[in-house]
Amino acid sequence: MRDFVLLFVNGCRHEIRGDAAFLPLSDYVRCHCRLTGTKIVCSEGDCGACAVLLGTPALNADRVDYRPITSCIAMVFQLDGAHIITVEGLAKATRSADHMHPVQHAMVACNGAQCGFCTPGFVVSLAGMCEKTASKAAIPEGSLRLGLTGNLCRCTGYEQILDAARSINRADLLPLNEVYPPAEMLPAMRDASATPFQIQTPNKLLYKPTDIPSACKFKQQNPGCTIIAGGTDIGVLINKGKIDPTVLMSVGGLKDSAGIEETDTHLTVGMLATLASFEAAIQTAIPELHQIMIRHGSPLIRNAGTLAGNIVNGSPIGDTMPALMVLNAEVELTGLSGSRRVSMNAFYTGYRKNVLAPDELLTRIIIPKPKQDEILRLYKVSKRWDLDISTFTAAFLLGIKKSAPTNGNGNGHDNLIIAEARVAYGGVGPVILRLPKTEAFLQNKSLSEELMIESGEIACQEIVPISDVRSSGEYRSQLAQNIPLKLFYELGTSADSVH
Amino acid sequence: MGVVGKSIPHESAVGHVTGASQFIDDMPPLHRELIVDVVGSPIAHGRIVSIDIEAAEKIPGVARIFTARDIPGHNTFGPVAKDEHLLADQQVTFLGDPIVLIAAETREAMRAAKKAVKLTIDPLPPLFSIDDAIAADSFLTPERKLERGDVETVLSTAFQEQLHTLQRTLDIGGQDHFYLESHAALAVPGEGGTMHIHSSTQHPSEVQMIVAEVIGVPFNHVVCSCKRMGGGFGGKETQAAQPAAMAAVVAHLTGRPARIIYTKDDDMKFTGKRHPFKAFYKVAFDDNGCLHALDLRLFSNGGCTLDLSAPVLDRALFHIDNAYFIPNIRAIGRVCKTNLPSNTAFRGFGGPQGVAAIENIIQEIAQVLNKDAADIRRINCYGSETSPFAPHNLETPYGQTVQNNVLPKLLDQLAADANYTKRREEISTYNRSPAARTHLKGLALTPVKFGISFTNTMMNQANALVNVYLDGTVIVSTGATEMGQGVHTRIRQLVADDLGIPFHTVLVATTATDKNNNTSPSAASATTDLNGMAALDATTRLRARLAAVAAPVVAPPNMPPSPDTVLFQDGEVFDTRGSGPRSTFRDVVCRAHTQRVNLGERGFYATPNIHFDRDTFKGAPFLYFTNGAACAEVLIDRLTGDMKGLRVDLLMDAGVPINPGIDRGQIIGGFIQGMGWCTTEELKYSDTGALLSHSPTTYKIPNISDVPPIFNVNFFHNDQNHISIKRSKALGEPPLLLGLSVWAAVKDALSYAAGKNEIAPLSLPATNEQILMRLTKLKTPARPAPAPLQSTP
Repeated sequence: MRDFVLLFVNGCRHEIRGDAAFLPLSDYVRCHCRLTGTKIVCSEGDCGACAVLLGTPALNADRVDYRPITSCIAMVFQLDGAHIITVEGLAKATRSADHMHPVQHAMVACNGAQCGFCTPGFVVSLAGMCEKTASKAAIPEGSLRLGLTGNLCRCTGYEQILDAARSINRADLLPLNEVYPPAEMLPAMRDASATPFQIQTPNKLLYKPTDIPSACKFKQQNPGCTIIAGGTDIGVLINKGKIDPTVLMSVGGLKDSAGIEETDTHLTVGMLATLASFEAAIQTAIPELHQIMIRHGSPLIRNAGTLAGNIVNGSPIGDTMPALMVLNAEVELTGLSGSRRVSMNAFYTGYRKNVLAPDELLTRIIIPKPKQDEILRLYKVSKRWDLDISTFTAAFLLGIKKSAPTNGNGNGHDNLIIAEARVAYGGVGPVILRLPKTEAFLQNKSLSEELMIESGEIACQEIVPISDVRSSGEYRSQLAQNIPLKLFYELGTSADSVH
Repeated sequence: MGVVGKSIPHESAVGHVTGASQFIDDMPPLHRELIVDVVGSPIAHGRIVSIDIEAAEKIPGVARIFTARDIPGHNTFGPVAKDEHLLADQQVTFLGDPIVLIAAETREAMRAAKKAVKLTIDPLPPLFSIDDAIAADSFLTPERKLERGDVETVLSTAFQEQLHTLQRTLDIGGQDHFYLESHAALAVPGEGGTMHIHSSTQHPSEVQMIVAEVIGVPFNHVVCSCKRMGGGFGGKETQAAQPAAMAAVVAHLTGRPARIIYTKDDDMKFTGKRHPFKAFYKVAFDDNGCLHALDLRLFSNGGCTLDLSAPVLDRALFHIDNAYFIPNIRAIGRVCKTNLPSNTAFRGFGGPQGVAAIENIIQEIAQVLNKDAADIRRINCYGSETSPFAPHNLETPYGQTVQNNVLPKLLDQLAADANYTKRREEISTYNRSPAARTHLKGLALTPVKFGISFTNTMMNQANALVNVYLDGTVIVSTGATEMGQGVHTRIRQLVADDLGIPFHTVLVATTATDKNNNTSPSAASATTDLNGMAALDATTRLRARLAAVAAPVVAPPNMPPSPDTVLFQDGEVFDTRGSGPRSTFRDVVCRAHTQRVNLGERGFYATPNIHFDRDTFKGAPFLYFTNGAACAEVLIDRLTGDMKGLRVDLLMDAGVPINPGIDRGQIIGGFIQGMGWCTTEELKYSDTGALLSHSPTTYKIPNISDVPPIFNVNFFHNDQNHISIKRSKALGEPPLLLGLSVWAAVKDALSYAAGKNEIAPLSLPATNEQILMRLTKLKTPARPAPAPLQSTP
């Protein structure tokens, strides 16, 4: 079996063996390639100074697709068969005589850089946005800020970076597929993606399977092995010394697992579908969830992390799960003897514990779309609006039917009956909690301000919030109380449009 | 023509955007280089019983391990008092206090060695908060008092005089610098006991001296150089010395290069921050909101040692008036001693905390009187025509008169530009509309008047070295360090113009102590003012010598040589009296060299006309004041406490900007950093004094989406600051204080939920948690208080 990771860095082929395969990509490019433009600040994916472009073969074209990720929490072995472009590798992507990428040119001209330490990360993120939007038009204003939430700057106050982003001369841009011709890399990239490897060092064993049965078998034979897809959580734990896994399985190469299928009623998400591709899929399918997804981590994180990983990681403040729980989503668990389906509401058994058997992987997520008569409302409260882990999350799915108008006391909703209520709160207990008493209380009641105030009080009695670095328990309780009322106010007249 | 006044891009911008700019961690590894790290105290206060390094020393790849007794020179140092130790040997005074210094060949060995060190420490009772320290009478300094007029009488007769009084407190939080580049140093041993330190420092001279003392060599044996920092913000003014000294100890004792790079977590956990403050105040004011007397006590949390806490407290007292004339004032300040890492300089240096105290008072006066806080600010500002104390309302409490005062005009101009009055009406209407069930809006317009100069008069000096080479190019070196603020770019502009040569022919050398000695830190906003002036002092003399050489060459026909009329412009040299022959700078330089004329010059500058008596707290410590104002509008979610900035208008009196593009960056960057301090940046500690918010996952500096969508920045026209370099004004710190406008706008929004004359309390930072919890307790909350809490595990 192959005993190295294949990586292209700025067009150069690297075969990486032994301990180097276990390094964060940021360390590899800085120490082994001496490409020190990529900076390390937080080592936890939360500042973006280490951003690089991750190039992977396009699905149905002879092209490499590029997207920015944080290289500090991406381990080299995860990236088998990829092409990495660092800030140093971007300068060639220009038709201009100044030998700078148009993003680099604009950042100079608009004073987008002060101390320079975050700058390479911003350049990479912006270059990634330029790649993504093929047209020569400017990047839409709304996408600009959303696209840069993963990059922190302490000097500029961001305005001049936005000025730069608005003034990128797209006409000068030489697409990366012209700078780094795919013909020279694609066969090797595809070959690596399709073949397994195993790396054994004195201290560590790493296996990359390409089919699910092999993966299940390895998992069963190596209980407690660390499984990595996007690595956006595991990478942080490794970097901060919280874990030091000796047996690892990189599942990123599993065949046919990254797809997302949509029917009239359901979305089916493959285990390797990134959060970014999930975000794109739900933009029209489940727009309410899309509003949460664009605040989940950052584009740099969503380009690497997977929905399946978010679920299996099982944080009680994970952003996607409350919605999946009230939507009654199911997960497909695949083991050596086949697959089974488990409701998201039955998946967790305790703090970061779940029902996965020793040989099982979570292979698909099946998500029912909200029906016409269902209202889905999702809430995420965090200290900072973007790129912050939730302090508190809430999900409501209300099945609504209309009754005949009553005498009406002016609040506009008294003709709406809650036929069914599903409520989930996160950040208020060791797991994300469904609130059965609150749900029962709401059922078959007429939607009103008083009802929602009372339901908030009941919700408070179903939770056990703690005080931690993110907030006090009192704040979480107050949010638990307030959110139903917030939902009520937000429905406003829009509830009338529910069929 | 010249480049001063033009938006020349930052001199390192191309390197920054292409990744070519080198920081300390980017410098290639040197032959036999060692990695340096420390093991610190696991508790915040205690007595060291034993240090066991035996097991750690045996780990393969561990080169050497050192404790306090190994330090060749002094183990103690400190910028003001020598009360800090490099390595603790008896007592530990904060969690992380360094005890054991490890030098290793590899990171793996370092990790293992850190785990293998065994420390036994007897705990002592720790103190963490200002309240704890006050209760325990634990202080680092005696009281400092700023006093004018008769506060006692005014306050005691306030009732008879029909003045209102208000007595309350305000808690002001600290702030982590969160420079992107954590502390870093590389020590390279040289011949004969010499040492070269590459340090990410705002104060190379101090690093040089502390390193020399710690390794026990004369100052001239140590060179400290700093090419650039990845941000400093005050955090690398004094506290870059510790990592530098650690690397130096290893390098000195092993004879090998040694490098230390803090992780972001360690940097945040174990280094100092902006001082938390607590203000107790009593204030008297009339029906118009005009301030008559302020009696205030300020306590700062200095942490475990003095560091710069005394001058930080002084600057807080100097700025307790912000932009307002306060006829009777007594402000007493004191620095608390606690078991936190020693707090240190941070952009604004106490000024922001002083200004927060008075701006909070203004907001509360407005709430008591049911008036618009902007009107209270306007009537109280220095030189206000409507003040009952006019025209005698231009003298600060410490006795310095506000010269060339622009505050009334500046406030009026911003109010007009920002359409303040109309927006106030709109906001009041909104807050009474059904929309206010879920959201409240707030608006505030706050000024700043920031004193420019180090308040320690001695530090207001700088030297510069200018060398001219035979191809006409120039290198200038000063004590100024580059941390992104653009000082090197500005100095290049100044020197290029003064010698009449193109910008690109002037370079600024890496800041280093062998070229510029006994320099002051790059701090107090005054780096360009001081070092630019020193550079021009050198170029003035150089130019005179070159003019004498050029005069005979460029004199118009039949005129005698006249050095005084020789002009240097755009690389050319000519006589302004008429159409004589033109020469070039390069030719004149070569001619001068042939004539054995000195082509290098040393410049010096000491800020004139400033003085301050520390004992009486009186004097004129500042060369001038930089002014500005900000108008901020916020939207608050009443049900979650979430706050969004909707619009900000900034108007900055920067004099005549030397580089408008770079200066604009300083204004916006400072404002957003100040906004972060006021809103989302919360330092949370455990009961044992461990910082819990020690990385960007938990410590939230502003994100790009926190920048208000409408963001207007303008320069106030002021070409009268003749006393400063090229009539510019220092800009490094003042805009940070304008971030308080956002906080004041939050307080304004809360006031709409308060009852008539009810004060909506708000401490700083105004996190969404605090906003919601405050709102819930106000008279007219959107919601009743929650059901009783469940027990919290």
